[in-house]
Amino acid sequence: MKQRYEKPTIFKLHTGLMNKFGSFAYPLSRRVRTEIDSIPIKELIEQFGTPLFVFSEKKLRQKFKEIKNAFTTRYPNVEFTWSYKTNYLDAICAILHNEGETAEVVSEFEYEKARRLGVPGEQIIFNGPYKPKKILKTAITEGARINIDTFEEINDLEEVAESIGIKPKVGIRLNMDTGIHPQWSRFGFNLESGQALDAIKRISYGKHLELSGLHCHIGTFILEPKAYETEIKKMVEFAYRIEDEFGFKIEYIDIGGGFPSRSKLKGIYLPPEIAIPSINEIADRISSALLSSLRPGDFPKLIIESGRAIVDEAGYLITQIHATKRLPDGRKGYILDAGVNTLFTAFWYHFNIEIDKNITGPSEPCILYGPLCMNIDVVDDLAYLPPLPRGTNLILSPVGAYNVTQWMQFIRYRPNVILIGKNGEIDLIREMENIEDIVRREHLPERLTLRKEQ
Amino acid sequence: MTNVAISGINAVDNPGPGVGVIKSIKKKDKNTKIIGLAYDAMEPGVYMDWLTDKVFIMPYPSEGETPFINRLLYIKESCGLDAIIPTLDAELPLFIANGEKLGSFGICTFLPTKEQFRLRAKDRLSDLAQSIGLKVPESRTVTSYEELTKAINEMKFPVMIKGVFYKAYKAFNYQEATSYFNKIVSEWGYPVIVQKVVAGEEMNVVGVGDGEGGDFGMVGIKKLWITSLGKIWTGVTVKHEEMLRTAKNFVKEFNWKGAFELECIVSDDGIYLIEINPRFPAWIYFATGVGINLPERLLSAALGKEPERASNYEPGKLYIRFTDDFVTDMEIFQKIVTRGER
Amino acid sequence: MGKLGRLAINSEGFIFDPETGNSYTINKTGLFILNLLKEEKKTEEIIEKLTEEYDIDREEAMRDITDFIEQLRLFGLINAEEYND
Repeated sequence: MKQRYEKPTIFKLHTGLMNKFGSFAYPLSRRVRTEIDSIPIKELIEQFGTPLFVFSEKKLRQKFKEIKNAFTTRYPNVEFTWSYKTNYLDAICAILHNEGETAEVVSEFEYEKARRLGVPGEQIIFNGPYKPKKILKTAITEGARINIDTFEEINDLEEVAESIGIKPKVGIRLNMDTGIHPQWSRFGFNLESGQALDAIKRISYGKHLELSGLHCHIGTFILEPKAYETEIKKMVEFAYRIEDEFGFKIEYIDIGGGFPSRSKLKGIYLPPEIAIPSINEIADRISSALLSSLRPGDFPKLIIESGRAIVDEAGYLITQIHATKRLPDGRKGYILDAGVNTLFTAFWYHFNIEIDKNITGPSEPCILYGPLCMNIDVVDDLAYLPPLPRGTNLILSPVGAYNVTQWMQFIRYRPNVILIGKNGEIDLIREMENIEDIVRREHLPERLTLRKEQ
Repeated sequence: MTNVAISGINAVDNPGPGVGVIKSIKKKDKNTKIIGLAYDAMEPGVYMDWLTDKVFIMPYPSEGETPFINRLLYIKESCGLDAIIPTLDAELPLFIANGEKLGSFGICTFLPTKEQFRLRAKDRLSDLAQSIGLKVPESRTVTSYEELTKAINEMKFPVMIKGVFYKAYKAFNYQEATSYFNKIVSEWGYPVIVQKVVAGEEMNVVGVGDGEGGDFGMVGIKKLWITSLGKIWTGVTVKHEEMLRTAKNFVKEFNWKGAFELECIVSDDGIYLIEINPRFPAWIYFATGVGINLPERLLSAALGKEPERASNYEPGKLYIRFTDDFVTDMEIFQKIVTRGER
Repeated sequence: MGKLGRLAINSEGFIFDPETGNSYTINKTGLFILNLLKEEKKTEEIIEKLTEEYDIDREEAMRDITDFIEQLRLFGLINAEEYND
């Protein structure tokens, strides 16, 4: 009977790096994942290949319900709106619309995608710094709620409104100091400098628009719940000033999103389960700030634009080790079939790395490279993994937010995306690209056509 | 017999508080079994077998909650564990978040609450200082070169450049400021704090809050000589009434629970609060040496006993730190790197 | 055998090099190969012994031995020109 094989390893001991369980995490932090929602990884790969994005409907619905419960049990008038840019795959949006979310879009493309899915105009919130007049016209006609970002947009809206004879309800986006760094000052009108008040004066003076909402988004991946408290207090105070001085009734307060998911942001030392405030804690801060600053009997609609916090943890990427390399500094390098072309968020996050089978041997420091012939293609610049044979599959998570929207068709085709349904159904929700998808919009001038030499 | 685990046994040029805590506990009862928790095989406490009865290497807190807690449960199982006194800033959030869980396994701690811990975060210190009548040196939270330069232009050199968990450097020019900024970011991440340097006497108070507004003793000291890393090398006990009163106020106002160190600068125009550490300082044995054995009192409180509360120390006692060395063979090193324990 | 002969190796996989003062840890398979290298066995022989002793195919064994020798070379435990067969 032959002995069980473990790849040979030898490590040099360095002072400051002699932690058997920290860096050479063995076997405490090693994680094996053989299935997602009870479906074996092996089965998924056989059918769809790698790399493969896998979304869990169960997890998606569960995360949404957590956020919904956190807010609806604390404040009587809440609207949840799905941030399309985090993930606008039809199947994902459809699940969240089915849960009752409206659509938050930031471009004509996202607007059209929401409409095409069947979301009525009045259930769309239209944000962003660039909204061409053509789509503004459609949005006004269909009753979408538009949050204004610039003075130019006020002009554009008035012009469009006048031309079609509708006085639309609009909101304006604010930016403010909430103690969060960096402060997002490029979107909307600054509150402290008086710019926001100027915008209100301008709207009031123009008489073509009915101001009915305030919008703000203080940043992304906010780890300090107190910032939301400050945001709310400032918004409510400003809303009442507008009501009292200009006679507009502020019907909604849209506080944006930015709630963090449990992913490990580079540059944050503590593990996510400790560093990241719970959604209940955030909801508690927000609701108590609202209830303590609103006038008695007044409950404007609270709009929550959560994206990442809902979808990030519902997404996994299965990627396969294609080759290994020993680097001159002694580290191990792995070449995966998915790189920064598919995993855009690798630039900011360290993913959880799980292995599809139990592999013995001490962990060693290694670099995970993608398949691109580009030096920047690094999925993780320092991971600790046991020596892995070619063909091993790694399951990276959470990857549900911003990857299947920001991914690039660069060098390789974008991979299959599947959804595991709540009853274990397996559906392909975005098919892997092929050459036809990419060349379809290209036109080769006749004179440049390559001809076989006679 | 009680088994107590203590971290921070890295008695190096920037020492952790562990060895001072262990000396204090051994002073009260030399039979208490001490389990050293180390993060590297080269931490001197690993080799000081007259202070640490057992030593275990811990996974870094950044590796996640589960491996960390599992390791503690493994220690409990393999040699018994009644209480833990963590002494390192980076591990405290993990212990605080899991205090109840550890308690359910019979592992006691005596730590501030999550809210108390957050209260003294460096980027929120000024609110806290105000509420107990202290001043804070002007400071800014920065996340980029641009903000760093802006902050420095407003404050003028010299400035302190600080990390959220560890490290504080005095910078006298832009080159130093940016190099310290990079150093802190690469090791501890964002944000970085820029603080104005205030002139005055550097004084500290160490104490233990009982969690109900009272305390289990306090000692005030002045630093006489500090190393280039800003660590105390010699000091003297003082009774600065206003500072001690403020410390009492702090404990009362926030019902502080567990160890704390207030770092102050006493200047002509009042007392400036520099930092509040939610743990014992590395010079904690100073308090024990003047008769106020705070680690032992904290341990008693953790184990559910009522400790002494007196703070009757003499001003004018000197603290002298000195270097020492010893020789050992490779056996402990071999064990610790291959088994992760000794 | 060169430098490998001077190494102090214990059964738990701890290696000390008395000449350089460096320490290493090694796993069981690594030790198995190291001992064969000390006996000046050729790569082909090591592959054979490894596949006899362990549940591993020839291709993976060959890849791993090459990698292991590369590491020993990086650590300066064997000379660049040694074990190039």
